[in-house]
Amino acid sequence: MSIEAQGAVAVAPAGKATGWRKRDHADSRAARAAAKAASRPRSALTWRERLLTPTSALFVVFLASLAFPAHTSKDPQVPYALAVGASVWLVGAAGSLAARKRATRDTLADVTAIILGVLAAWQLATAAFNVLPEKMFPAPGIVFAQIVADHVKIGQGIASSLGIVAQGFLLGTAVALVLGLTLGFGARSSKATEKVVAFLSAIPPIVYIPYGIALLPTFRASSVLVIFLATLWPVLTATLAGVSNVDSRILDSARVLNVGRVKTLTRVVLPSALPLIFNGLNIALCLSFILLTSAEMIGGSIGMGYYVKYYSDFGDYTRIMAGIIVIGVVITMISALLARLQHRLTRWK
Amino acid sequence: MSKRIDVRDLRVVYAERGDSFTALDGVSFSVEPGEFVSVIGASGCGKSTLLAVLEGLLPPESGSVSVDGEQVSGPGPERSVVFQQYSLFPWMTALGNVEFALGQARPDLKRKERRELAGEYLKKVALEGFENRFPKELSGGQQQRVAIARALAEDGEVLLMDEPFGAIDARNRALLQDLLLELWEGEAGASRKTVVFVTHDLEEAILLSDRIIMMEPGRVRAVFDVPLPRPRHRLSLLQDPAYVAFRGELAKIFFENEYQEVHSA
Repeated sequence: MSIEAQGAVAVAPAGKATGWRKRDHADSRAARAAAKAASRPRSALTWRERLLTPTSALFVVFLASLAFPAHTSKDPQVPYALAVGASVWLVGAAGSLAARKRATRDTLADVTAIILGVLAAWQLATAAFNVLPEKMFPAPGIVFAQIVADHVKIGQGIASSLGIVAQGFLLGTAVALVLGLTLGFGARSSKATEKVVAFLSAIPPIVYIPYGIALLPTFRASSVLVIFLATLWPVLTATLAGVSNVDSRILDSARVLNVGRVKTLTRVVLPSALPLIFNGLNIALCLSFILLTSAEMIGGSIGMGYYVKYYSDFGDYTRIMAGIIVIGVVITMISALLARLQHRLTRWK
Repeated sequence: MSKRIDVRDLRVVYAERGDSFTALDGVSFSVEPGEFVSVIGASGCGKSTLLAVLEGLLPPESGSVSVDGEQVSGPGPERSVVFQQYSLFPWMTALGNVEFALGQARPDLKRKERRELAGEYLKKVALEGFENRFPKELSGGQQQRVAIARALAEDGEVLLMDEPFGAIDARNRALLQDLLLELWEGEAGASRKTVVFVTHDLEEAILLSDRIIMMEPGRVRAVFDVPLPRPRHRLSLLQDPAYVAFRGELAKIFFENEYQEVHSA
């Protein structure tokens, strides 16, 4: 709903009520609507501003890139490229129409425009003018068609990878929070834990793989162990920092409110440390995906990393590129989920 | 029931890297049940240290504090506290902060009752409509209102206030003083709280208290009864000759000494 439309609705009764009993009331409504519009003039976007965005401009460029005749030996699968490009444009346009703030609209428009620009450049460099080696750089439509064709296999790979990350990440976070809160709250145990964790977190978790493989029954279990450690240390470090950073005035408040020790940890120290803990969670998630895809490429038999590794043995660059794109999209989506959670839980900050 | 406070021969020493500093020495006084006592003094005279001992946050070197005969050895439910600033839990809304305190004081309450009661306490401090704001979305004065509502919700018989309005601008400070006066004078008889109020503001102390304890570094210098009837009103006090005379007398003692301290140094 645009601001002007709201203004128009409120102004109409004001005009009609002139010279009438309810004039004061109507005037104040109009005044309020006007004040509201005046207080947020920057957010008053016209329809033209909402639709004539960089997204739309780049979408036209992208369509033009598809119109060039193909110079490649393979069918460039233009409908697939068109479907992806159109979806990106639709997301950008729908977002622009729904955006309440100009900054939101701008960011969305710019990002979708960049994606469309890259797609257009990719199409031009491959299918249209064939300037890149054809075997290594298939046209976008070919890659998207491959993703669709392989969707079962890719879906299984994603499910397997996400399952491992979820187990290791959640377990690591839980242990890190319990250790961080209990050990970090005492001044003396906090210092000692900090030093020990500084040493342990310096060791890249991937080097524990030999022990994982020797001691644990499956590759999956070893992967969970690696992700668990990759999460444990950064989150524990962040939790220790967060706990030692809790404002003494907040702790005094808890003490004079006669809050017990466990409740102080869960209801006072934990929320207080949460903004710093999320720093650790973000690092841990990033690290988890890097380690997991590496592990899958080295020793896996399923998963997103394995998909890329398997087809690289055949020099199947269409599938390699498909895997790279899917990995990027999936990890970005998971990170966005974590960012949302962070925003929700720390909006008091 | 209102409770009395007895402070006997209190001595507090801060020791740091071999240096020791005596913050309080030989401090003794009593506060009668339902009495409003202000502790006034320049910064660094130990008045906040004194309150920290009363709160149970700071163990004294020697001497004792007792509430109704019971020795204070830590924070207790019979004592509610309002700090100067930044004492609210920033991740809880105004209502959430009061609810949390209620949950501590009265764990028997159901969730819904607690919520309703917390809303009533916010209403008492004129914060209706601000229930769902986080502390960062409130002004300093509003935050202190929430802190007062929280202390009232705890419902200790003793209310300890450590320069609660010290960081508030003059106009809002006056509003908060009036609010506190109204709330405290509104509770008569046995439900009236015993208050110890730390401040560096002479007018504030006179307006609010029954007695004023004036401190000099580490010690009690003098204790004054405030010769003004209740209920008190800020504006009518200003023209009251008794108020003017008392304030003049007190200011003379309060500032004369500071003046000598500064100029003999």
